[in-house]
Amino acid sequence: MTDALLPVAAVLHEIVPMVTDNHLFSFLPEQPMALAPGQFVEITLTGIGSFPVSSCAQVRNGLITSCIRRAGRVTEALYHLEEGDVVGLRGPFGMGFQLELFRDQDALLIAGGLGMAPLRALLHALLDDPHRTGRIIVLYGSRQPEMLLFRDELVKLSLEQQIELRFSVDFAEELPSLDGRVVCKIGLVNELLAGLTFAPRKTVAAVCGPPALYHCILEELALIGIPPAKIFATLERRMRCSVGECCHCVVAGRYICKDGPVFSLEQLRNMTEAI
Amino acid sequence: MVEALLPSYHLRQSSHDTLADAITKGSTFAPQVDAEGFCRLQPLSAGDLPGQALSSFVPLKKMFLPPREKLWSFQSGQFSELEQPEPFAVVGVPLCDLQALWYLDQVFAEDLPYQKRRARSLVVAMPCEPTPDCRCDPQLMPVAGDLFLEQKCAWALSPAGDSLLRSCGAGGAEDQPLPWPTASPERRPQLTEEQLRSSADAAIWAEAAQSCLACGACSVVCPTCYCFDLLDETATDGSVTRGRLWDNCFFAEHAKVAGGHDFRPGRANRLHFRMEHKFFGFGALQGQNSCVGCGRCRRVCPVDIDFDQIAAKLGGEELS
Repeated sequence: MTDALLPVAAVLHEIVPMVTDNHLFSFLPEQPMALAPGQFVEITLTGIGSFPVSSCAQVRNGLITSCIRRAGRVTEALYHLEEGDVVGLRGPFGMGFQLELFRDQDALLIAGGLGMAPLRALLHALLDDPHRTGRIIVLYGSRQPEMLLFRDELVKLSLEQQIELRFSVDFAEELPSLDGRVVCKIGLVNELLAGLTFAPRKTVAAVCGPPALYHCILEELALIGIPPAKIFATLERRMRCSVGECCHCVVAGRYICKDGPVFSLEQLRNMTEAI
Repeated sequence: MVEALLPSYHLRQSSHDTLADAITKGSTFAPQVDAEGFCRLQPLSAGDLPGQALSSFVPLKKMFLPPREKLWSFQSGQFSELEQPEPFAVVGVPLCDLQALWYLDQVFAEDLPYQKRRARSLVVAMPCEPTPDCRCDPQLMPVAGDLFLEQKCAWALSPAGDSLLRSCGAGGAEDQPLPWPTASPERRPQLTEEQLRSSADAAIWAEAAQSCLACGACSVVCPTCYCFDLLDETATDGSVTRGRLWDNCFFAEHAKVAGGHDFRPGRANRLHFRMEHKFFGFGALQGQNSCVGCGRCRRVCPVDIDFDQIAAKLGGEELS
């Protein structure tokens, strides 16, 4: 039996500032760690505390990369670390996205705010899959144009016609110029569905964003005709142990850290108060 | 569940004495009433076994999941596990606490610190005197632990308990059911998971929430409550230890995430959550009622909230 509560040491390899208070952090753990899209790790800042976070990229050269928002006490402390500092990592935890379900299907990725981070890991995995056919549609909503994460990368993929991209922002004084080929609307991300032509029966959807996003969009996707078993959302909860013991993340009797955090709408419909 | 038959042995006085010496040869704890009238699990002097079980204020769980424990330390860039726990014995616990131990064994099946303590422990149950609060049910779930000990008879509950009895000269093993106290399982409320789930907005929760102080005492004294949090402590030499400490689903931070969103706001919500956990379980134990009927939560609640009564009302019956 290994001690799942004992972290491995990891070097903070690189900090890449992106938008305000949403930097990319990559970590090199002493022992290699596999981390699939949708799964998460716990990052420990010794003496401060720990928090769960998913990766926003495939693991490359042993590096685990996450987009981490400065949102609380521990992430605040992370923003004061420097490259070369040592943190602790536990994981990988949870059930991620089932990549094989996306194989011969169109992929519809819908993100709100920081929800783009785990979906970017999924996007990279889909793009890297040589056996995969089908479209990749990315709908991404943010508060303001300046807060769109991975904007340049997504626009580039769109221009290369690897993905079909639409942005939405809640408000903007001036809409960014996106080379005329990328749609950016003012409004909510679910409004981007209007006018989108796709075949719902052969589409797998993945949604990640704040709780308000799930309230409206998951059932809307089902109404459009995507089967509930092929609509996935990744849930955020307070996870402390991450191994299905401490009880903080439980919803409808299920440990989100262990059974999830990715669930299908079919599952979520039977989980009262999950969304 | 069919009641299990367990090997039971006759104990002559000599083998009882040998057994008592063997059990208490190391660090031994037993429920004992202190000067202030509280029954606590306290160290026991050698060779001096109690005659019967007592229900300690804080149950057996604290021996395996201490209210505060150290999980690891960090020094000079390295994380390291802490030392092995010392072996110990606990004697004089009631059978309901052994069901609770079985339940915690399932929850913490993969938890190394918990399992290390379990592997180095000897747990001995004894007959108890049921109180009006007791609602134990032998059929609820199996028991864990090592021995059930009466004056002239002993039951082996584990291979370690069995070999201990044999080595002490106990003889005449035959398979027998454990002598549970004559309790009243029929007084346990009948509540279905569906009734509880569909009751989330029922007025009964708001009523209970009006008097509930959210003190969390019911969870502290519950033998099957096991929520925990993790907390770091930094020593003056710069070393850091991560502590595991009991948490409580009545506390305001329990379901709050970074950014401030609370997934279980309000006491009504938390009362419902606790009831769901207690009667219907989480994760792999979903469907397993873990209320062993010890009555501790009823005795400790400062405002007389009785989960059995809430369950009975939700289930459409009235407890006498």
